[in-house]
Amino acid sequence: MRPGFVVTLLLLTLAGCGEPTPDEPAGFAGLGEAADDFAQAAKGIELRFPEDHAAHPDYRIEWWYLTANLTDARGEPLGLQWTLFRQALTPPGQRPEPTPWAADQLWMAHMAVSRGDTHRVAERFARSHSSDQEGQAGAIAEPFRAWIDDWQLASHIETSGDPSGDGDTFAGLELKAHQDDEHGGFGYDLTLTAEGPLVLHGDAGFSQKSADGEGSMISGSMYYSQPFWRIEGEVTLDGETRAVSGRGWLDREWSSQLLDERQQGWDWFSLHLASGHKLMAFQLRGGGKEGGDYRSGTWISPAGEPTALAPDELAMTPLDTRRVAGREVPTHWRLEVPHAGLELIVEAPHAERWMDTRVPYWEGEVVARDADSGERRGVGYLEMTGY
Amino acid sequence: MLEFRQVHKAYATPQGPLAVLTAVDLELRPGESLALMGESGSGKSTLLHLAAGLDLPDSGEVLVDGRSISTLDEPARARLRRDTLGLVFQQFHLVPSLSVLDNLRLQARLAGCERPEWSTHLIERLGLAGMERRYPEQLSGGQQQRLAIGRALAPRPALLLADEPTGNLDETTAGEVLSLLLDLVREAGSAMLMVTHSAQVAAPLDRCLHLTHGRLGSPSGQAVSHR
Amino acid sequence: MLIALATLLSHYKRHPGQLAMLLLGLWVAGALWSGVQAINASARDSYARAEALFTTGLDRLERRDGEPLTREDFLRLRRAGLPVSPLIEGSLDVSDGTELRVIGIDPLTLPGDSAFAAASSQGELTGFLTSPWQTRVAPDTLPALGLSAREAGGAEPRLGGLAEGRLPPLVLSPTLPPDTLVMDIAAAAALLDSGERLSRLVTAPGALERPPEGLVLTRAATLVSPGQLTESFHLNLSAMALLALVVGLFIVQAALGLALEQRLGMLRTLRALGVSGRGLVGLLALELLLLGVAGAVAGIISGVWLARMLLPDVAATLGSLYGAEVAVTLNLPWHYWLGGLGVTLGGLLLAGSGVLWRAARLSVLGLGQAQAWRTGFYRQLRGMGLAGGGVSAVGLILWAWLSRQPAGEGLLPGFGLIAALLLASALLLPPLIALVLAGLGRLVRHRPLAQWALADLQLQLPRLALAMMALLIALSANLGVSSMVGGFRLTFLDWLDQRLMADYYLRPAPEQFDEVQTWLAERPEVGELLPTRHAEATLLGIVSSEGSRSPQLPVGLYGITPGESLMPNWPLLATQAGRDAAWQAFAAGEAAFVNEQLAIDQRLEPGNRLTLTSPSGQETLTVAAVYPDYGNTRGEVLLATPQLAQRFAATPSSIGIVLAANVDEAALRDALRQRFELGSDALVDQREVKRVSVEIFERTFTITRALSALTLAVAALALLASLLAQARERRRQLAPLWALGVPRARLVTVQLVQLAGMALGVGVLAVPLGSLLALGLVAVINVAAFGWRLPLHVFPGDIALTLATAGAVALLAAALPATRLWRTPPRALLAEEGDT
Repeated sequence: MRPGFVVTLLLLTLAGCGEPTPDEPAGFAGLGEAADDFAQAAKGIELRFPEDHAAHPDYRIEWWYLTANLTDARGEPLGLQWTLFRQALTPPGQRPEPTPWAADQLWMAHMAVSRGDTHRVAERFARSHSSDQEGQAGAIAEPFRAWIDDWQLASHIETSGDPSGDGDTFAGLELKAHQDDEHGGFGYDLTLTAEGPLVLHGDAGFSQKSADGEGSMISGSMYYSQPFWRIEGEVTLDGETRAVSGRGWLDREWSSQLLDERQQGWDWFSLHLASGHKLMAFQLRGGGKEGGDYRSGTWISPAGEPTALAPDELAMTPLDTRRVAGREVPTHWRLEVPHAGLELIVEAPHAERWMDTRVPYWEGEVVARDADSGERRGVGYLEMTGY
Repeated sequence: MLEFRQVHKAYATPQGPLAVLTAVDLELRPGESLALMGESGSGKSTLLHLAAGLDLPDSGEVLVDGRSISTLDEPARARLRRDTLGLVFQQFHLVPSLSVLDNLRLQARLAGCERPEWSTHLIERLGLAGMERRYPEQLSGGQQQRLAIGRALAPRPALLLADEPTGNLDETTAGEVLSLLLDLVREAGSAMLMVTHSAQVAAPLDRCLHLTHGRLGSPSGQAVSHR
Repeated sequence: MLIALATLLSHYKRHPGQLAMLLLGLWVAGALWSGVQAINASARDSYARAEALFTTGLDRLERRDGEPLTREDFLRLRRAGLPVSPLIEGSLDVSDGTELRVIGIDPLTLPGDSAFAAASSQGELTGFLTSPWQTRVAPDTLPALGLSAREAGGAEPRLGGLAEGRLPPLVLSPTLPPDTLVMDIAAAAALLDSGERLSRLVTAPGALERPPEGLVLTRAATLVSPGQLTESFHLNLSAMALLALVVGLFIVQAALGLALEQRLGMLRTLRALGVSGRGLVGLLALELLLLGVAGAVAGIISGVWLARMLLPDVAATLGSLYGAEVAVTLNLPWHYWLGGLGVTLGGLLLAGSGVLWRAARLSVLGLGQAQAWRTGFYRQLRGMGLAGGGVSAVGLILWAWLSRQPAGEGLLPGFGLIAALLLASALLLPPLIALVLAGLGRLVRHRPLAQWALADLQLQLPRLALAMMALLIALSANLGVSSMVGGFRLTFLDWLDQRLMADYYLRPAPEQFDEVQTWLAERPEVGELLPTRHAEATLLGIVSSEGSRSPQLPVGLYGITPGESLMPNWPLLATQAGRDAAWQAFAAGEAAFVNEQLAIDQRLEPGNRLTLTSPSGQETLTVAAVYPDYGNTRGEVLLATPQLAQRFAATPSSIGIVLAANVDEAALRDALRQRFELGSDALVDQREVKRVSVEIFERTFTITRALSALTLAVAALALLASLLAQARERRRQLAPLWALGVPRARLVTVQLVQLAGMALGVGVLAVPLGSLLALGLVAVINVAAFGWRLPLHVFPGDIALTLATAGAVALLAAALPATRLWRTPPRALLAEEGDT
């Protein structure tokens, strides 16, 4: 579950100077609003690659969301995030003529580098017309490239020289993003190599987002990940560049009706376990049965075989909160997947991971330990919205 | 010296014209003193104002020193007052910005005929010696009226016009001021027309006339003899 | 209590003139004050709105060759990581002839928090970005679109004239500057039919270190922003408003004093009838409050009216100065109204406090009555003398303190000094007049009427004193302000001559600079070339006779060419060894000049040595002279251009072209443009710039003068009011003289001569006072506020005008009472004799 698109939506209402709009948007940042004129994510939609790596302008929202747990030469941990969000400004049937500057898509990108107590954040915005493949921002499949300004995540595999000929340029990517700031600038130049297959979440890629199965419309998204990235490269922080390596997780998700109108925020985990397993787990607070939380997740074997976790196959319990940016944020959790015999304490070593962007949220590295022995079991990322 | 011939004077009032003086005939010879008596509103003050050229008759003639005031323009009448007449008012009308001495000499100096010995004499006679540098408001009521008399007599006017000169004074003071006034008028050789409502004040004067509803007559129907 | 209040107020029923005078004073004071404040508030609001806009405060990029930038340029630069944002600007003529500025922005890339946030007050970004888009517009632009505020929301006004079509639906945005339409760049591109073309790219100030290849970077800081000059303008306006308020309050004080004096008997009676002293003071305070509210409300309303009258002129002036629009309709926040009311009431309370104090000390038995006015007045004069002496002492202390302060500090004490100067003069005026009258009285002992006239003036002095004080202040202020404005004008013209010496001003691209210069040097049309250069440095050290310091101050370095045409016109304030020696040393490259701001800020004198950072390490220069640099905020060091280029590796900035006599300018212009493909704004006709600047300043001065004249008019009113208030009593005083044989014409003449004489005397006193005031304004206030001193100019014409004005004001004020006296029938005079 990613908050980023939320940010875009909220941006739409925030762009003014803070006057409250008369009607509070349904759900967190308006994500619960109905969107009948857009294409809808649904069970049974078959994902096709590489086409689905590109933008889906007929859906309201979409993102390319990368997080990475890295270490430098001295073994010190370092985290980073790079996200490109897309938001349709109009339903497919109401797109404006492609006159100069006319836009039907709004783009936003976030980048963050974290090390110790240092957390640097930057954001960018852009517009594009869906008929224009060479705008200020965009995402194309062949060869894969997702970009905004000079920030980009792009394939370094030449299609013509690909001996397999299957056109999957997605397995080897390069990520470049830099931002000047008063601390001397930060950014990264990274090479991403996929060491496993793409993983489809939920029901063959359809990820349900609320428990309520009644009625014709169930909120949900098309959702797949590449959790097997091996990453090498350089990260710059406060003007200092260091060689890094580690693991990355890329989420791809698009939807037109993501949240139930009652849901107000979520907590999302992605974990790389030492055993080679991966775990994705989220809960939508307030959207479950009888107003409870709606939980879902995927247990991924080292070979990339997913097991979807139903709401009752997963337990997530906040244990402790920390005060960050003036809010109480739960940075200490108990995570249980009885089915996999998993009982973890997941904790953020550094609480200062507030994303002070137009729509703020918390996103940072976590360490997973065995609940009984306290033994270190893995690393990952935690994202929390609506606090 | 002063002559009224068939003088008529009326004032416009909201209720229509009000006759103040009707066919007044009057004659005053040089050096003669005349008391003019009458009730309030009988026209005494109007008669005095006409004599001073402060106002003009509707018909008839007022002659001062042989000249009809109706034939004189305003500046000429002002000159006439300055050079020939002396005025003493019930309210004294001293000039508050001038000292006692300057008040006394004011008219004489305006007329250009000041005689310092006479001024000094007047100051002494008026009992104002030693107060020359004071200002009018620093004097008592009697002193102020004596100063006003001195101011009127300083140029030795041919005719002194006095309007209730003791009206604002208590009885004792009034007596003193009156006898002083008569003495000094005699010393200056001026004729005097005095308006008063008091028979006691009128008594020492040469003649006395009564004004009733704008018409002139003797108090008891008989002329008062010359001295 | 109500009955007591009614009794108190009944006085005004019998003396409506006094009531009128009171209200007049309050009204005039309030009107001028609030009028000026309204203008200031409105202008400041407009600046704030203009600054919130994207055109000011952002660095801008344009193509060096003058061709328009395109969307492709934008995308190319963004992909190179440069934080540029596109902007389309154009204008639309609407049906009523107004030219509206259309600005198309991309809110997604526009830098800063202020930009779009300030421009869009409400609504969603989606609405702004997508069809049918939105037109953001300030409410005061609506009349130009033929709309009222009520029907504006969502309206899509059709455009008349050439630009056919409709505007996107309107959304009101009060923070936008007037006559400006802001919309999404896509909507603007369609409306202006600009296709892929851009007007310019903008970036956050300082975001780019150097311009990208082929582009010119104009820093926001270097864009024309004569903010100081407009601030100076507002300071002037405020000072004038304050003076007007003070003069108005003098009228009020006079009227209140009279109203109290005439009611002393009534107050005693009320006390005797059982109203407590405290109650009486309370009632008088209540009366003050009632009068104050009435006067203040009337004042503020007329103030706004006054502001409406003056605003178009002010707006035009500030608009030209700033290049920004000032709304010609007033837009006043609520605190403006409360503030106006507060200031007027506060002033009234101040003016009335004396009256209340006297009422509080009122003796029931009327012992005060026994004291003659003369004693009371002498005591009052002594009190004024003492107070005046005290205030003078305070002024002297302030002056002594200020003279020890480093220059450029002490704006508040500076204002205090000027206030003390004015107050002391006002307080000392009545004792001085009394002395003069007494002295003159002795001189004319043998002229009875003259003696009387002088003695009589003394008698009138208590009543006239306040009016004369007001007149003194108004005349001095008038003279002071006109001296200052006149001096400012002369100085400004000099400065324009200094800065805009050349006929043309050329800004070639740096890489073309030498080539252009060589080419120009060979043209017969060119009389002299004045190339300039510019660099930045840090002032590391100062060696003066007092020792050495290291201020670490960033300064600008400017290179000028000490040529034939420049040297004689460039003013110098202080030199080490005379003007010629200074220029010789300068031309030889041995010495530098520093601007007045730097000299004042760092206490520099000719002969000091400066150490500056340079590309090769450090350079040391001797200060040969200080030059005036009006309107600049920064410290500047001036060097000969070749020296600057050599020692500081300064970049070329411009070439001034002085034309030879009788040449074909157009030929040179065309040849220049063709030879070097110069952009349209690369060659500037300085004479046109000068003409426009002078015109703008003339307008500023006209407004200042108009306000100054209004202040004088208020003083005349004060005098008239005082004279009218005592006209009855005057007639009573004059009647005995008339009875004693002084013709009325003489009396009237004497009256006029009395007043005109006194006013003329006050006028004579106003001359040195006004000059002192001007000195204070230019040498204390201006230095403290802006860091530069204006030379003091004394204009004999202004002095003569001041004297004439004083006499005219007095005659004018005396004319009405005199005419009345003239036209009063003698009988009425007599009738008044017995009155009271």
